[in-house]
Parts: sequence; C-alpha cells; structure tokens
Amino acid sequence: MATDKHEHLETVLETHRMTHVQNLVDKFKEKRNEVKQALANHYGSDIYYPFDSGSFKKHTAINTKFDLDVVVPFKKDSFDTLDKMFDSLNDFLDDEYGEIATIRKQKVSIGIIFDEDDDGDVINLDIVPGRELNKDQYSADNKLNLFVYSKYGLFSSSTYIQTNIQAQIDHIKAKENERKIIRLLKIWNNNDGKEYKSFLLELFTIKAFDKEDISGNIWEKLEKVMEYIKDNATKDGFKLIDPGNSNNDLMDTLESWGKTNLSNRMETIIERINSNSDNIKSYFPTNKDFEDDDKSSSSVGYGIKTGGTAYSTPPKNERFG
Amino acid sequence: MKLHNKHRNVELIINQELLEKISQLGIDHYPNEFGGFLIGKYSDDYNTLFITDYILPKSYKGSRSLFERSAKGTKSLFSKLFKIKKEIYVGEWHTHPNGSTRYSDIDLRAMINIESSPSVNIKNPVLLILSVSEKKLNQATFYIYENKKLIPYE
Ligand SMILES: [Zn+2]
Repeated sequence: MATDKHEHLETVLETHRMTHVQNLVDKFKEKRNEVKQALANHYGSDIYYPFDSGSFKKHTAINTKFDLDVVVPFKKDSFDTLDKMFDSLNDFLDDEYGEIATIRKQKVSIGIIFDEDDDGDVINLDIVPGRELNKDQYSADNKLNLFVYSKYGLFSSSTYIQTNIQAQIDHIKAKENERKIIRLLKIWNNNDGKEYKSFLLELFTIKAFDKEDISGNIWEKLEKVMEYIKDNATKDGFKLIDPGNSNNDLMDTLESWGKTNLSNRMETIIERINSNSDNIKSYFPTNKDFEDDDKSSSSVGYGIKTGGTAYSTPPKNERFG
Repeated sequence: MKLHNKHRNVELIINQELLEKISQLGIDHYPNEFGGFLIGKYSDDYNTLFITDYILPKSYKGSRSLFERSAKGTKSLFSKLFKIKKEIYVGEWHTHPNGSTRYSDIDLRAMINIESSPSVNIKNPVLLILSVSEKKLNQATFYIYENKKLIPYE
C-alpha cells in the first residue's frame, strides 16, 4: 500500500511535538528559572541577566531530543581570563547543585544533570558562560567570547570562540516553514546515528529557503531542501555562515568525505522515497509513544461510559502527591 | 471563569467565588496538602462542564507532599445532589503547598484509577491542582483526564 507522504510527515511532526511532554517541559523550565535566579544572586553585577537559548528557545525542538540552554553573559571586567570564568561557573554550580546533580565541563558549557526525580525524569541543563567582547557593549552588540574547553591532552589546548547567540536565535525567528523542515531533518539525523550537527542542518534549511523557491506541501518542501543540500554540500566555495560570527563557516566542520557522504545520503533518501513511498517511514519515523493521540482526540466533548448515565461516585481511597 | 481545552475542544466554567472558597480551604490547611471532590454538571451537548460545588472528605490524611482521602460516608450526599440538582461527581482537587500546579506521577495514577473504577461513569474526570503558600493562592490549574493522560485547560 502506498504511503501518503504529506500525511505521513504531518503525523511525524505531530507525534514529535513538545506538547506531548508538557509536564516534562514544565519541570525543565522550573529548574531553569531556579538556576537563572541562583546565578543572578551569586554573580550580581558581574553578569547581565542570564537568558534562554537552545532548540527549545528556537522552536526547533523535538520531543525525543531537546535542549534548554541558559547563556550567562559575564561583564568584561568580571574575570581576566575566560578559563577562570569557566572554572568559576563550574565551581559555583558544583557547590550549589553537586549534591543533587552531576556537574560536568562540556565543550562550551557546564552541564547540570539532576538526579532522577520521583517520576523517573532526569532534567539536564547546559549553562553557557560567555564574556562580553567589548566593555559595556554587550547590551548593544550582543557579542560574547565563549571559552572552548578541551579535556584531551596537552597539545589540543583550550581556546575561545566569538559568537552572538542572540543573532543565532533571531536568525530562525518567525520562520515556521523552515522550522518544520529542520525538525524533520533532525528526526532523520537522530534516527540515523546523529552524524550531523543540528546547527548545520538548520543553516542549510534556512539558506535553501532563502536561495530557492521552496513551496508545495510539506513533502515537496522537504524534498526541495534535500535536493538543495545534495547539490551544494560538495560545491566548491559553498559556505554556511554562522549568524553569530561571520568568520565561522559551518561547512568547515565537515571534512571533504563528510560533505560527499551528506550529499550521497540526501540523494539516496530522495531516490528511495520516490521509488517506493513506504520508504519514507524508515527515514522519517513517527514517535510511537504518541501515535494514538490523534485518534482519541478526534472524539470531542466530555465522555460517558456506555450504559447511559453520567452519575458517578468517587472510588473509596485515593492518594495524591 | 471560562476555560478551554483545545485537545478535546471542551469548556469548563467555574465561578470566581467558588474557586476562592476552595482556595481558602487549601490555604487553611497550609503547609499540608488538602483536597476534596468536585461537583458539577455537563451541558446537553456534553461540550461544557459547569463546576458548581465541592464536597470535602470525611476522613483524610494530609502532609506536605501527600494527600490521601477516603470517600467513606459521602455516598448519600452524592445521591442527594443528583436527585435534587442533577449534579454529579466530576473530579478531584488538592493543593500543592509551595509547589507548582504540575501534576505528579501519583496524581496521574490516582486519576487512572478513578476513571477505571466501576462506580465512575464519566470518561473525562477533571483534576484541579492549587498551588498555595501560607497566605495566598499562587495558581490554579484544571486538567482533563483522557486515555491515561492529564491535559491542562488553557
Ligand atoms: Zn498533586
């Protein structure tokens, strides 16, 4: 039986929506706000107020994988070196949450992984420290220097990158069509070994919409974006400029074989789906956990069990927490 | 106050005074959890639920993070309400002192039990969670139960 590609992709997106995990998202947000407040209290006038970033903030999150990041903009004079800033944040978070969470240094952030709660949920947040590039200019230019932590060996010494996280967030603002395609490509990527950075797929998609006429139904749009990636990934001089730093070309994060590989993958996916529409299910799977939601919501109104009367009495003993 | 649940496309109506009365009961029991039963009726098309009253349990246990209630001794009250006013048991409410209005795993489990209980003929009972502090109500959230899930009204 042939699969309606458009309909299938709508279901894929629907079953990956964040609202299915609203309860969990609320927990993340609550913890995030708590941590932001603790940082503001501790660092006082050494920082600008922490702000939210990550896929959740960008509205490109999918419920099988999402990040709630917090960026802490330190003032220029707060620390004389970026590694001191990074260590200070790590030490503070360790003092504050070390007993109820695992704190670890990551590439440009400190990770907080809270211990499993009573519901079995694990909340994790990435706290990204950045120091303003130009003294007292952060509010105007949003430019930050991030410390790049490296735990490997003596020779790959730690360094820093300049970025503008606000500009990265703004780059994807109000682009609902692009976001849908980005979510689909992330679903494919996560399902397929997560070989590519989400940020790379994000920039590819936005550029495709920018350069080509990406229209039609959702499958047609996805296909056109994949064609664009296929055609351009290996093209000489093709760049994907980081909106947070014009010197940063995301294509440089791929080796030449990686570029060829990406181009070939796109070609294969398009071919296989066009030769048999059922193949779309293996590249873009639904989230089975939430597949039945649609059916149950098609019934509207308050339900009464079969038999007629709504008259009910509560069961004898119940516990609430 | 009129609330809407997009997921099932239903409405819930409760007047401010009743909600304040319930909140006050919760605040009076601070710092322990407290709660009870919700009484109401459905519109003829079953698209709107009017919360009209509450009933307090005759026996219960409340601590800072747990509320256990019994329905013992309330049966005649429910049947009277139905005979006189056509009002029925439509759900449950309890407080979260110093907590959010997010439901816990225990809350969800209780609602699953309730819906599957033979004395319950409604398929979408509601759960009201009140976040309270010592002197005031912080927030109140109504959830509709459906198919092992709780979905908030907006
Ligand atoms: Zn509760």
